[in-house]
Amino acid sequence: MTMIHDKVQNTGSALAISGVSKVFNKGNDNEVVALSDVNLDVHTGEFISLIGPSGCGKSTLLRVIGDLTGFDSGTVQVSGKTPEDARKERLYGIAFQQAALFDWRSVSKNIELPLELAGWDKSARETRSAELLDMVQLSDFGTHRPWELSGGMQQRVAIARSLAVDPPLLLMDEPFGALDEMTRERMQNELLRIRLETGKTIVFVTHSIPEAVYLSDRVVVMSPRPGRITAEISVNLGDRTEITRESDNFFHSVTAVREALRLHDTSGSGVSSHRGEI
Amino acid sequence: MNSKLSYVWPPILVATLFLGAWQLLVVIQEIKPFLLPAPSLIASEFSNGATLMWGAAVYTGTTAFLGLLFGTVAGLFMALLAQRFITVDKLVTPLAAGLATVPIIALTPILNNMFNITSRTPRVLVTTIIVLFPIFVNVMRGLLQVNPVQLELMRSLNAAPRTTLRVLRIPNAIPFFFTGLKIAAPLAVIAALVAEYFGGPQEGLGSRIASAAANTAYGRAWAYVLAAIITGLIFYLTIIAIERLVTPRSAPALAKS
Amino acid sequence: MSSTRDRISKGTLSLLWVFAGIALIAIMWELTKVLGTLIDLPFNTSDQAMPHIWTMFAAFPLPEVRGSDTTVFEAVLAATTSSLMLALGGFVIGVTVGLLLAVVMQRFLFFERGLLPFVIASQTVPLIALAPLIVGIGNQISFGPIQWSTTYSVMFIAAYLAFFPLSIGALRGLQAPTPTSLELMRSYAATNNKVLWKLRFPASIPYLVPALKVSAAASVVGTVVAEISTGVRGGIGRLMVEYARETTSQPAKVYVAVFGAIALGLVVAAAIAAVDALMTRNFPKKGIV
Repeated sequence: MTMIHDKVQNTGSALAISGVSKVFNKGNDNEVVALSDVNLDVHTGEFISLIGPSGCGKSTLLRVIGDLTGFDSGTVQVSGKTPEDARKERLYGIAFQQAALFDWRSVSKNIELPLELAGWDKSARETRSAELLDMVQLSDFGTHRPWELSGGMQQRVAIARSLAVDPPLLLMDEPFGALDEMTRERMQNELLRIRLETGKTIVFVTHSIPEAVYLSDRVVVMSPRPGRITAEISVNLGDRTEITRESDNFFHSVTAVREALRLHDTSGSGVSSHRGEI
Repeated sequence: MNSKLSYVWPPILVATLFLGAWQLLVVIQEIKPFLLPAPSLIASEFSNGATLMWGAAVYTGTTAFLGLLFGTVAGLFMALLAQRFITVDKLVTPLAAGLATVPIIALTPILNNMFNITSRTPRVLVTTIIVLFPIFVNVMRGLLQVNPVQLELMRSLNAAPRTTLRVLRIPNAIPFFFTGLKIAAPLAVIAALVAEYFGGPQEGLGSRIASAAANTAYGRAWAYVLAAIITGLIFYLTIIAIERLVTPRSAPALAKS
Repeated sequence: MSSTRDRISKGTLSLLWVFAGIALIAIMWELTKVLGTLIDLPFNTSDQAMPHIWTMFAAFPLPEVRGSDTTVFEAVLAATTSSLMLALGGFVIGVTVGLLLAVVMQRFLFFERGLLPFVIASQTVPLIALAPLIVGIGNQISFGPIQWSTTYSVMFIAAYLAFFPLSIGALRGLQAPTPTSLELMRSYAATNNKVLWKLRFPASIPYLVPALKVSAAASVVGTVVAEISTGVRGGIGRLMVEYARETTSQPAKVYVAVFGAIALGLVVAAAIAAVDALMTRNFPKKGIV
């Protein structure tokens, strides 16, 4: 598998997040500081994972970026625009843990949904959805109904849908979380292949350390109470191959992430190691 | 408390606006009582005729209660039979579905001929039949729509069908039963009331409404209607009270009506 | 996919069981009459109160009234058709109003909290009992040249009974989409209208269909009972009351009329079942909702 860097540009800011805080139920007994003074810069074409225990704010941060929830202080720039403008200009596509396909539409029509809402005409939509089905290797399933597909296939359709308007940014909230391990690994390879072909910037939320390391250029470690970023770990694994997961480099990166998580583990389960951040 | 209040004030506001607008409309447009009586007129007729209304309400309410009682028992019995014996299920369930659109109250004249028209029996009987169907349908649903995993558990414990019924199906069916009761109770009142239109003793609310309307005493007719509404509400609220007592407020309601 | 074929064969099988059930009732009827001749039952089993099944059918071709050209069967058929039209009209109006209410209640929380209790409370109002009053009021109203007739009152009552189950079912359906689906639509910068048409309405169909069944039943029952209590000419309700008065001379006629009412109900049930099959063909087969 050779790498083609044409579409992957390492210039330009895709995301500039500065001093962002968000509090739920402010002033009440159940006040929660979901995000506290979060700073993150993502370059165009980078693959970033957000990882951390429950309540660390990773999903909240993703939703802040997508203007699916507000924030209380700080600034967020998505391709130089506010999240609201970015959403209205359709500068990102999103995929969730549930595929959330519409049962009453065929697979093709599900992919066409964002295009309909963006005002594309019928033939353009059909061409584009056929293209995308091809990209996720589900060309034979265009007329099928979502419930006829397996979980992994449904997620591939969801990913194809997120690429529909060809946005520069992809937001993904644990899209492979509900899949079994083997399907998960296959989907990870699919995603990397799509990334190479399209050069998108990807922000990926996950619970799984190996997944984060395998997919990303950088793993952003987060911690709860208050939700904040505690470490950023660069991953230098080069081309991903069948044996990448079994290599020493992979193990070292996974260990680094694991240590970073353990350092700020307040659940009291493990012995915290003070080897410091890498 | 804040959130509870926000549920209460909108309907009260709407009701006040509605009654106020009604009263104003009647007064300003000088609408004659036979067209649309004012709320004030209805209220006065209601308080004046309170004893009579009480009597009529008790009469119709008794018919409704008896019909509700027998219909519930019959519906429960049929549901248990149908769950146990598939033949009964196959016979009754499509019939119940098909008869849902049939105006069962139309049987009243036939029953009036078969039974003594001067007695309460035909009215109680037709109410019983009307109540039977929602009870049967909902209890059946409750007995059958059990989590398959729980059934597997019972099987792994080598439980006899009767035990599974007692330990699993019946408790599962209780919320469904109350859903059916909540439908059947107001229905019983309406059935008992309408059955009075086919002749027989004239002491009940239905007969009184019809005769008041025939005598163009519309204020009185509406007052009797108010009494009928209150009777229906009492039945419904009683069922809710019983439900609160019987079922603990733990699991969210599984039944969809 | 043989699901349509499966559904048709399932439907036919259910129909056969319905006929079996009806046959069983007929047999029990005759057996009861036989029993009545043997022991003392608490009700009247004479041929006048309980005609034989074959007497009932024999009444079909008889003239409706002595010397009239129309047979009992024809009279009942005409009356049933007339009632069917009224029920249909009431159903359409009730469904439309119910849907509109549901859309408003879903969109504006104030209306959901303000209106829903009354929508539910409207169920406790025995509108059918109000029927004579409605007719009385209706007869006074006229919109210019159009005079309100009793027929409209009957349709109004049918619509009133039909709108409630539909508005409840539709509201539940419109509120059914998962938070994830709603976030998805928000990410597409979809307006409220777009969300309504592209997500909420299609998602509500599995909830609408059972509600349509209940509404249809309500409008049929409402029409017939309103006809009974208002004496509207032309409908099956009034025919039943008329024939019931003649049980001394022609006891079987009222049964033919009752058959008509039952047939009315069954025709509507079949129509709704067809609509159900049509509307849910795009959805996965779920359990009983």
